[in-house]
Amino acid sequence: MLKTFFSCKLSPDLTGHFVMRSFKCKKNTVTLLSAGLLSLGLTACLPTDKQDIKVVINKNPYPSTYQALPAKSTLLTNATLLTGTGERLNNTDIVLVNGKITQVGRGLSPEQATVIDMKGKWITPGLIDVHSHLGVYPNPQVESHSDGNEMTSPNTSEVWAEHSVWPQDPAFQTARAGGVTSLQILPGSANLFGGRGVTLKNVPSVTMQGMKFAGAPYGLKMACGENPKRVYGSRKELPSTRMGNVAGYRSAWLAATEYKRAWDKYDSDYSAGKNPPAPKRDLELDTLMGVLEGEILIHNHCYKAEEMAVMIDLGKEFNYYSGTFHHAIEGYKIADLLAANGNCAAMWPDWWGFKMEAFDMVEENVAIVDAVKNSCAVVHSDSATTIQRLNQEAAKVMYRANDNGFALKEEDAIKWITANAAKSLGINDKVGSLEVGKNADIVVWNMNPFSVYAQAEQVFIDGAKVYDRVDEKYQAQSDFLLGQQDNITRQSAIESVSASATKSASKE
Amino acid sequence: MMKNTQLLTSLRYALFSVLVITVATASQVHAESIAITNATVYTVTEQGVLSQATVMVDDGKISAVYSKDDLPASLSADIIIDAKERILTPGFIASGNLLGLVEVGSVATTRDSADKKADVTFDASLAFNPKSTLIPYARKGGITTSLVMPYGGENVITGQSFVVNLSGSFDSVMSQQNAVIVSLGANKKGSRAIKLQTLSNQLEDAKKALVKAETAQAVDEKEDKTPSREAQVINALLSGDKPLIAYADRATDILALLSLKQRFNLNLVLAGASDAVLVSDEIANANVVVMMSAINNLPSSFDSLHNSLTNVAQLTKAGVKVIISNSGESYNINQLRFDAGIAVANGVAKTTALAAITANVADSFNLNTGRIAVGKNADIVLWSGDPFEISTKVDAMWINGQAMSLKSRQDALRDRYISATELPRAYTK
Repeated sequence: MLKTFFSCKLSPDLTGHFVMRSFKCKKNTVTLLSAGLLSLGLTACLPTDKQDIKVVINKNPYPSTYQALPAKSTLLTNATLLTGTGERLNNTDIVLVNGKITQVGRGLSPEQATVIDMKGKWITPGLIDVHSHLGVYPNPQVESHSDGNEMTSPNTSEVWAEHSVWPQDPAFQTARAGGVTSLQILPGSANLFGGRGVTLKNVPSVTMQGMKFAGAPYGLKMACGENPKRVYGSRKELPSTRMGNVAGYRSAWLAATEYKRAWDKYDSDYSAGKNPPAPKRDLELDTLMGVLEGEILIHNHCYKAEEMAVMIDLGKEFNYYSGTFHHAIEGYKIADLLAANGNCAAMWPDWWGFKMEAFDMVEENVAIVDAVKNSCAVVHSDSATTIQRLNQEAAKVMYRANDNGFALKEEDAIKWITANAAKSLGINDKVGSLEVGKNADIVVWNMNPFSVYAQAEQVFIDGAKVYDRVDEKYQAQSDFLLGQQDNITRQSAIESVSASATKSASKE
Repeated sequence: MMKNTQLLTSLRYALFSVLVITVATASQVHAESIAITNATVYTVTEQGVLSQATVMVDDGKISAVYSKDDLPASLSADIIIDAKERILTPGFIASGNLLGLVEVGSVATTRDSADKKADVTFDASLAFNPKSTLIPYARKGGITTSLVMPYGGENVITGQSFVVNLSGSFDSVMSQQNAVIVSLGANKKGSRAIKLQTLSNQLEDAKKALVKAETAQAVDEKEDKTPSREAQVINALLSGDKPLIAYADRATDILALLSLKQRFNLNLVLAGASDAVLVSDEIANANVVVMMSAINNLPSSFDSLHNSLTNVAQLTKAGVKVIISNSGESYNINQLRFDAGIAVANGVAKTTALAAITANVADSFNLNTGRIAVGKNADIVLWSGDPFEISTKVDAMWINGQAMSLKSRQDALRDRYISATELPRAYTK
């Protein structure tokens, strides 16, 4: 109601816009406004001339309803901190209050905080996966839940991955046990424009909105290379070649440019006191216009050096930021170009070979991209399995690079799965590092997280514990698995096994 | 029954000789003798772990393993290597992959792992490419041997597996058609029951035919009653000579297989086996080996609701012998050691995890590798540290006593792009 009212005020910075024809807005305004607000509403909304109520696009029609889990003020002491800002702090304390990191240092003693001694433990920012299909390609992998790729047209910018998310995907729980606190859920890569991605907080929720990361920009999934041309080429449609791919992008951006021009003209005419007809809404073009306006970030499935170079120029041609290249297998061939243009590159340490565009993998890819000044190297998973071990994925890069002349340390490598990932998603003002004022998303590891034996022991999101490896109270389970597994056998077995695992791990 | 088996074995031997042995001589002529001294040797035998030990290699085989105390006064070898107390293990044995059968997954002309016509006689080793770029990359993970399991055909019996070493030479195939593969469980169309019935009927019919043939032979010794090629394979299963690798996840399918094993005296290896934890005692009592992933912990289907990171630990605790196998295709089989490490982090003893990627595979498929013991193939790896750790790398590897290159195409690409040059990278070679 209040939002309806404000939409009439034309405040450009508000998130809760409604899209309405002017007569409708007037009617609603009058009907819904309470007496107390009426006078204010009238001054803002009632036309002094013959202008209709302005049409404003609601950019957040499925808003986040996320609320942090119950949290206490917590002081974690004597841990090894990898801050995500390139620092390693030994024997250091960290304080979590009201969902934020409030202090980092030694010998801290905040009032009324629960103190947990973390001697021997390592603490990192919560891990962030910029490329996930959890919830849209969930487990079990059944057709009924296969909702990640609208493979019916090369441009489906109008679809939003958030409308496919099944929050009961058991893989959210296993990813959380691996320390993942935020993740971007993307549509698949069959289309040139696959649709919008959404950034979620990895908390258990019955609704997608309950996981939605408030304030995180939307992503737009684009795809280069083999997938679009194979899918549509096999149907004798455009694109069937890489040049067809690029023609497809350009046609879409041309249309988006015109669409934006129409809305800009509408806005400026309206501001000039005219009463122009509003352009016709188009969901596909809304998304593309969001990119042109800098509000939606490009996430571009693009393996090969020559294609990334074209995509960077494409962004320049249509005046938008070409964003993050995902699965950038050949990022190492154009590390300078990526950094010079401010592109992030999200990479696997070693997936390769399954298609021609994945043939030129090198294990040091991430390190080579990272080594350039102003770079933004990210390690991503694209997998419900490896998302559980992003720490080990980063470790593989670090150690293989160090075998070959690099001198990377844990405090460098952690950035690939925290701060740089946050930057790629446009949420680095909130998460991705252990800095005062950031959201208290943290992972406590039983040892150096770059060991194959490392386990996330406790995971916090906004200061609230969401996972504990030894306390079943903090181990969420999907509705799907509840009552399906043989829990008696399973639970006792897990208990006996974790006891011996702790024993054997401490011996190493 | 015995007669047929012998016939098959000798046929196989003959084929093996023609295809392999003749080529083999070329690369094995100048096998040098090697002494690796001062090593921490994980023997995967009753000897356990030997510190400051010495391993002797002669003519491609391990010729001696000396503990610190029984080291002879002098050693004679062409090459003597001081391991400086680094860890020496048997080369790891990958399984359940398509190594050498598929180069680039999406390029149909590089795929030789499946064929509609493939039946129980399918011999994909004939398609094995020892020059595949996947092989040098896999060596970097300490893999010296692989049990390749092609997809094969569309029937319940999909084909047969084979075993290769990762030397990259033309004599890589160690064993052709070494096990029959069947695939059970959930179907997109139809019922899983039909698969079990088909398998059971096939075994039963073969058994009846054998009895009949024996009786007939007693009557008329002169008539040629050589069984068909298909029947010969089934007969080898019935005699227990040839292992049967059965993909099955749900507990009911596993139990049905255990029952077939008992009925037909099969040499059964379970593959996949997500639900195995529900019937671990039954599997242990039947003395059946389980080949499984250590990292598949998601309920990927209704057949695999019990996938868990602790499954290997639970099964080994129940007395089941486990083979840890990579999941997926073959590009990253070098990560087998990390999977073993993850199993350790989830409750498996280190030596058990090591056996799960060495001796257990060798024992199940009758391979003369997988242990550091006298007479075994000298397939051995020297590590910079704990073999399962990510920080560790392979420092040296020998296959049949031959030192292996540890460079892959990936290394060449990296070096091209990190070295300084004024010319385009294409000139850096």
